Amino acid sequence: MIMKYLTLICALAIAATTLLAKNIDLSTVPNRSTVQLTIYNSDDLTLVRETRTVTFKKGVNPLQFSWANTLIDPTSVELKFLTAPDKLDVLDTTFPHDKPQMLYWNVQSDIDGEATIQITYFTSGITWSADYLCIADQDEAKMGLEGFVRVSNNSGEDYENAQVRLVVGKINLVEKIAQLAQVPMNQVKDLRDEDRQQLKNKAMLRMVERAAGMGGAMAAPATAAEKEIVKEGLSEYFLYTIEGTETIRHGWSKRMRSFEGQTVPLRVQYRYRPAEHGDHLVRMYLLANDKESKLGTTPLPDGIVRVFRQSERAGLSYLTQQQIKYIPIGDKIELNLGPDPNVIFELVKLRTSRSDIWMQVNGMNVFRRVDDGAAQIEVNSTVAGWDDHGIYTQRIRNYTAKPIDVEVRRSFDGHIVFRSSLKPTLFDYRTVQFQTQIAPAAKANLLFELVQHQGHNAKQNNITLEETQIGQ
Amino acid sequence: MQRLARYAAPAALVLCLLPSAVFARIKLITLPVRERVEIQLDNPDATLVEEERVVPLVKGENQVDFSWANTNIDPGTIVFRVIGPGEGKAVDAKVLSVSYPPGEAALVWTVAATDSGSARVRISYLLGNLNKSFAYRATASNDETTLDLSQYMRLQNLANEEYGSTELWAGFGKEFLKPIGINETKEMLMNRFAQVPIRKTYTCNPQEFDYLDRGQNKLRVPMHYVIKNDKASKLGAASLPAGKVRIFIQGAGANAESATAFLGEDWGKFTPIDDEMRLYLGVAQDIVVQRTIERRDQTRVAGNLYNREIIIKYEVENFKPQPVTLDVAESISFVRNEIFGDNGREIQWELGPQTTFQGGPDAEKSSIDKVLFHAPLPAKSADGKAIKTILKLHLILKNEW
Repeated sequence: MIMKYLTLICALAIAATTLLAKNIDLSTVPNRSTVQLTIYNSDDLTLVRETRTVTFKKGVNPLQFSWANTLIDPTSVELKFLTAPDKLDVLDTTFPHDKPQMLYWNVQSDIDGEATIQITYFTSGITWSADYLCIADQDEAKMGLEGFVRVSNNSGEDYENAQVRLVVGKINLVEKIAQLAQVPMNQVKDLRDEDRQQLKNKAMLRMVERAAGMGGAMAAPATAAEKEIVKEGLSEYFLYTIEGTETIRHGWSKRMRSFEGQTVPLRVQYRYRPAEHGDHLVRMYLLANDKESKLGTTPLPDGIVRVFRQSERAGLSYLTQQQIKYIPIGDKIELNLGPDPNVIFELVKLRTSRSDIWMQVNGMNVFRRVDDGAAQIEVNSTVAGWDDHGIYTQRIRNYTAKPIDVEVRRSFDGHIVFRSSLKPTLFDYRTVQFQTQIAPAAKANLLFELVQHQGHNAKQNNITLEETQIGQ
Repeated sequence: MQRLARYAAPAALVLCLLPSAVFARIKLITLPVRERVEIQLDNPDATLVEEERVVPLVKGENQVDFSWANTNIDPGTIVFRVIGPGEGKAVDAKVLSVSYPPGEAALVWTVAATDSGSARVRISYLLGNLNKSFAYRATASNDETTLDLSQYMRLQNLANEEYGSTELWAGFGKEFLKPIGINETKEMLMNRFAQVPIRKTYTCNPQEFDYLDRGQNKLRVPMHYVIKNDKASKLGAASLPAGKVRIFIQGAGANAESATAFLGEDWGKFTPIDDEMRLYLGVAQDIVVQRTIERRDQTRVAGNLYNREIIIKYEVENFKPQPVTLDVAESISFVRNEIFGDNGREIQWELGPQTTFQGGPDAEKSSIDKVLFHAPLPAKSADGKAIKTILKLHLILKNEW
């Protein structure tokens, strides 16, 4: 079923009069010549710019524009004359009370003949999203990475042969609305909803006007060739223009390839970062959105990444799917494949002891150190400070056929001394980080001692690293 | 009927021969059949189906419809790959775009072909309700020193789609070529491991297994078969996935097979290489362990700081006609909390000199919070009486308050 709700009707005025017949009427319906959609998925807002060719007579020409059962914002509809703009003028715009989703323009024409008009408006219900398909090679040294955009049309209107432009990035219009309303930014929320919407439309239009010259021509591409998606920077945003035109009917969605990187180099790393990935050692694919990786032509918009690997048996193995956040050009792409059953990761506590126990004589500000019974300490005293020692081993068993790189991050609260020969570094004041490589079929015991100053002994809330050999 | 059934199959591939004719009312369609299907079961949480079809294409743009009514395919995961020519000359084919019609479990690929011909394509998708699980059948030798272990993969097809001859792969072990019908469950033998050595253990651990009779301080003594997933045990090629293990035991004498009896079943947990799978077979009623706290002392170090001592006494009787080894395990924090209350602090502890277990704790099975000793128990005497063995565990907890 083809829906067609958006119409422009020229009432054939027999005389130069703006009076429209009430019941018996005659009209012509000029078709759309071109249509362009600029879709902002962050706001459920699409700017539609369409052109139509209309034949005017000298005098007043009534035009009716209606949009029944669509999601057009009526306050945003604008009419412009692309030909003979100095000879054509909108005298008035009428929104009839008895016919919702309709307006009339009375156009004063000084010409007899054809003119191209442009109607712009905002509609909701058209959205786009990005998604990615990654297929890693069998040896996991490189992968094919393809990006897609999917445009969904639930606006109530069919758009045929439309040029489609997608805006990547979140648009913050408050500042622009404030400028237009000449009010401080914190007063934008106090504007009447209607006024704010109108200013928002205006702000959006101004932004789009700057990009008006961008994007390819509306000519159809050669048959059977994949359409290129042209990517251009636009202020803080990125504009994707799909080559040629697309027909996206109401209710349909369409997915097109936005880029293809055939041989993106990748690195495999095992990571333990409980704050990011939960309490597991997870396997990661690490790559970069840069030129060396045969990417880097565009930021990667938010979207779902689906990751497969070529299996030993010609087919695919499904690894994972995850949502990625916007990745700027040059930034890294990190794909979490989850725990690997062939790598066993355990933290085992080997020993516990206490030292540097300080007693406080009850009711006095007097502290005495317990020194293996050498000094007599009052019975009337209470433990006030001590050091807890724990010796741990981070056991990692690698049952894969390759050496693995492992990075471990562990956070500790309190006043901590971290002793080891693991060459650790501090990721932050409370998080220790260390790396190791484990050969195939090998087992690693990464030993460390944790000294936690407790009670009166705790003077800080941070970690000090000490290089030392820890015995089992 | 066969033909109808194929057309009615929930996952169908349809090729519209009119270029760009996706919206046309009058269509001529071809129905490329599945040439090959693989079901990849290597991901623990998802089932990937890959089907190969030979798709005839005309030069220019082609519309290829794919629909999956009444099945649980995740449409976002559908991947269309051209993997080679079909029959005859090779054509270069590429997906230009995918369209998703409203309200239908279907999509339409627009595929460009450089020439008329056919292309072999592989369509992959994640399919819900096609689930795998693992199960084991173990038959222990009559003397309970080895068992024959069979590992099965069970595939349950509630996906509302039937697959003819399908290659199935679990991510390890061998591949299968089997058909699987709608609502069918298929069990396949993955591996058979003969004469896997087992350890039969009797263990008491009040924290893990509690008391059999709290009033008489008698501990519950479960019996386990322990299998080690390593090469020495004729395993160790891959992790053993979790699954139910049914355990049988061979009869004695010449007709060992026919006298095989069912011993019990347990859930085997996921067992990585070099780890042990412990299978619970029931409570050993013939081994009686009475646990009492013989001593509870504390010595002041200073102020409210104490060193504490505990002696746990085990009076053990083995009513079996053969000697056995009892594993006695204790959680240090469980003991501390039971006797002195939980102060929430780490425990600095050591074994006291009055510990009577020979050979000390098992280093591999003990940890900072657990001690495990192996205690040999003699068989009952000729007059049928058990010989009582007295064992003691002496723990010193230092710097407690």
